[in-house]
Amino acid sequence: MSLVTEKFWPQGDFVAMSEGMSDLPRVQLPHPVAGSGQENMAKVAVEIRDQLVRSLERR
Amino acid sequence: MSTALLTAPDEAAALEELHRLGCTDGLPVIIPTQERVDRMVLATGLDPGDIIGEMGPLMGAASVEKVAAAAVMAGCLPDHVPVVIAAIKAMCQPEFDLREMQATTHCTAPLLIVNGPVRNTAGIASGFGVMGPGHRANASIGRAVRLAMINIGGARPGESDMALHGHPGKFAFCIAEDEENSPFPPLHTTFGYEPTQSVVTVVGAEAPHSAFFIGDADDPDGSAEELLAILASMIAAPGTNNLVLGGEGAVIVVMNPDHTAVLEAAGYDRVKTQQRLADLAVVPAEQARRLHPRQFANFKGDEVKAIRHPEQVIIVQAGGTGLYSMVMPTWNAGAHRNQAVHEAIDLDQACEVPWATST
Repeated sequence: MSLVTEKFWPQGDFVAMSEGMSDLPRVQLPHPVAGSGQENMAKVAVEIRDQLVRSLERR
Repeated sequence: MSTALLTAPDEAAALEELHRLGCTDGLPVIIPTQERVDRMVLATGLDPGDIIGEMGPLMGAASVEKVAAAAVMAGCLPDHVPVVIAAIKAMCQPEFDLREMQATTHCTAPLLIVNGPVRNTAGIASGFGVMGPGHRANASIGRAVRLAMINIGGARPGESDMALHGHPGKFAFCIAEDEENSPFPPLHTTFGYEPTQSVVTVVGAEAPHSAFFIGDADDPDGSAEELLAILASMIAAPGTNNLVLGGEGAVIVVMNPDHTAVLEAAGYDRVKTQQRLADLAVVPAEQARRLHPRQFANFKGDEVKAIRHPEQVIIVQAGGTGLYSMVMPTWNAGAHRNQAVHEAIDLDQACEVPWATST
């Protein structure tokens, strides 16, 4: 499971394809996350929580 | 330098001859045939014999035709050449000290910073990898300026260009400012130009040094102060000419969008940022004397300043979003102490010409 911000999503596509793992589960985060503050990071975590769990369950 | 037309049996032989004569940067070039140069001149809308300036140390006359030849060799498109002409015009201003800058043992290279509409018409990149490979306009424009410095200005490594090491930016060093996403006004407007004008700013610069910083949106004021302290510490690194030679000249800070956002959140504009960097870019005199006992033996004062003229801190936003900004210390020498110069890019004269690389 990879957490990838929207700005780096195309790079994630590229690496996943080049490694032969194009079905690698990934969850998209807004950009930037680093340095955006505790409150924002907690909000992002809540927003992606269900998607993250669903992705893990599919594995 | 001779302006005689060289001849060769074919393009491969012509390339080898240009390499042998020292007319290249070491990489293959497009052969500047008379037809290609004529078409590039036509694209400028100028007379081939118009003189843009004199380029030292050879003091060669930079005619439009010769500059067009450099642009052809570098792989420029016609849309690129007005930027090349303006950059060379800027570098020929006395304040740039081109002759001395070409000849110095320091590694300095002219960094071109492009503002205004030409960024879009010429396709000059300002985002991810802005100083690296993969951006045709940036690479071609920067390379054309270098080839002009070699072939018109006469710079030859170890002979007339005495840089001990040089740096990779001496191949090509051209960026655009990310005006659309910057919280600061476009750089050229700080020199009195209108936002709708296209302008190139040129400043001799070292290679970029990376500055790592993660802010904290919960502490905007503290984050901005930390970021500025990091940038200032790099400007005032004890090995830089900015510190050792008195801090009279320019320094360049190329900030990524996340870092300018940190400054904006704390209420910093460009002028306030320049002033704060100047305040912070200091080294205790005791440290300076210990590291440079001869240079600072007679220094009076408690601290050595790396920036004496805040307006000479050239701050632009460029590059991708993330953790790194770039600091470029400078040579800080020559009669004018490494000032930034600028020139409007004249797009009114330019003509649209059919272009193909096969001719």
